[in-house]
Amino acid sequence: MSYVHPEYLVDTEWVAAHLNDANVRIIESDEDPLLYAIGHIPGAVQVDWFSTLQHPLRRDFLTREQFEQVNSKLGIANDTIVVFYGDKSNWFACYALWLFQYYGHQNVKIINGGRLKWEQENRPLVKEVPSYAEAAYRAKEADKSIRAFRDEVLQQSNAKKPLVYVRSPKEYSGELTHMPNYPQEGATRGGHIPGAVSIPWAQAVNEADSTFKTPEELRALYEGKNIKPDGEVIAYCRIGERSSLTWFVLKYLLGYPNVKNYDGSWTEWGNLVDAPIEK
Amino acid sequence: MSLPPKLQELVDDFASMTREEKLETLIAFAESFPPLPDWLKDERAKMEAVPECMTPVFLFGEKQPDGGIHFYFDIPPQSPTVRGLASILASGLNGCTPEEILTVPGDFYSPMNLQEAVSQQRLNGFTGVLAHMKHEAVRLLETR
Repeated sequence: MSYVHPEYLVDTEWVAAHLNDANVRIIESDEDPLLYAIGHIPGAVQVDWFSTLQHPLRRDFLTREQFEQVNSKLGIANDTIVVFYGDKSNWFACYALWLFQYYGHQNVKIINGGRLKWEQENRPLVKEVPSYAEAAYRAKEADKSIRAFRDEVLQQSNAKKPLVYVRSPKEYSGELTHMPNYPQEGATRGGHIPGAVSIPWAQAVNEADSTFKTPEELRALYEGKNIKPDGEVIAYCRIGERSSLTWFVLKYLLGYPNVKNYDGSWTEWGNLVDAPIEK
Repeated sequence: MSLPPKLQELVDDFASMTREEKLETLIAFAESFPPLPDWLKDERAKMEAVPECMTPVFLFGEKQPDGGIHFYFDIPPQSPTVRGLASILASGLNGCTPEEILTVPGDFYSPMNLQEAVSQQRLNGFTGVLAHMKHEAVRLLETR
């Protein structure tokens, strides 16, 4: 048994062999934005979810036109193979990949094991920031089939359709918001969306080297919690980054046809007036 | 109320920097992060944990003969932003007395405008680390 869409993954060996491939652009996207400056894969550019991919004013992502500008400046053309990697088992790499797919970029891949595996193998990290000739990137209309908004999440919850909550068990139970001095929470209520099944994101990756678990292990993990390929699935977390990883696993490694990421996630739901919550 | 002089100086320095300078300076602080001394290795149980950070952060305050506190940090190299923020706090507050540390307001860093370089959410690590440095200051007051 193999992954359903293995073409969305590359290993570190493949990356090492494509460092000078003009058709490939490697993008580092991290939870910690300083990591890129301290050392990155030769030729890689940085895309930060906060300073690059967020809309400068509204709580939203870049507009289609802004996204086109970012890609053009990074020398990414419509047919460039864009390969993402990052820290924290590729959370933000998956987030960036998801946004590239949202605006219709087809040829995207994740480096299996991300930054951790590259470091563990003592492969080169450099500080030099590359510059590429500007391209003329054209994005597509946003693909709403991979992004869930709050009204849809409420309908999903009311209809008792599958919702996957990928945060830690303590966040699911609502315990964590009660912890003193936990300012990063950013939500006034703790708990989860009614009907959501708790499958922490970390269960999809091997802790030792950040690679994804085997197809058999992943299938057992999600189907064991009744998250099946035939349903419409929505994944969420706190701001949509960890659930992007789960979205990637369900959509490409397991091939579920209908998976959405709810990027509003708990920082929206936990503040939403009149929204139903379970503990 | 004014901050301890060394911390005030750092706040003023950052306040006058461009976004790029702030990032470069934060990286320099992260790269000069001092290693954990041998006598504190394997002493996690003795150290104060900072659960507010998404990475495992531990710190320990040691009382010096002159009454000031020296802080030691254990933060993984994979988290340079938190390392940088902790380095700034150590540079600004090492040698201060417990009383001086307890007077530092939780939002002391606002004038530094660091949110233009790293997100507001990551700056909460600043508040978290400072809160636990204060716990250590209280512990050292009580054991005086």
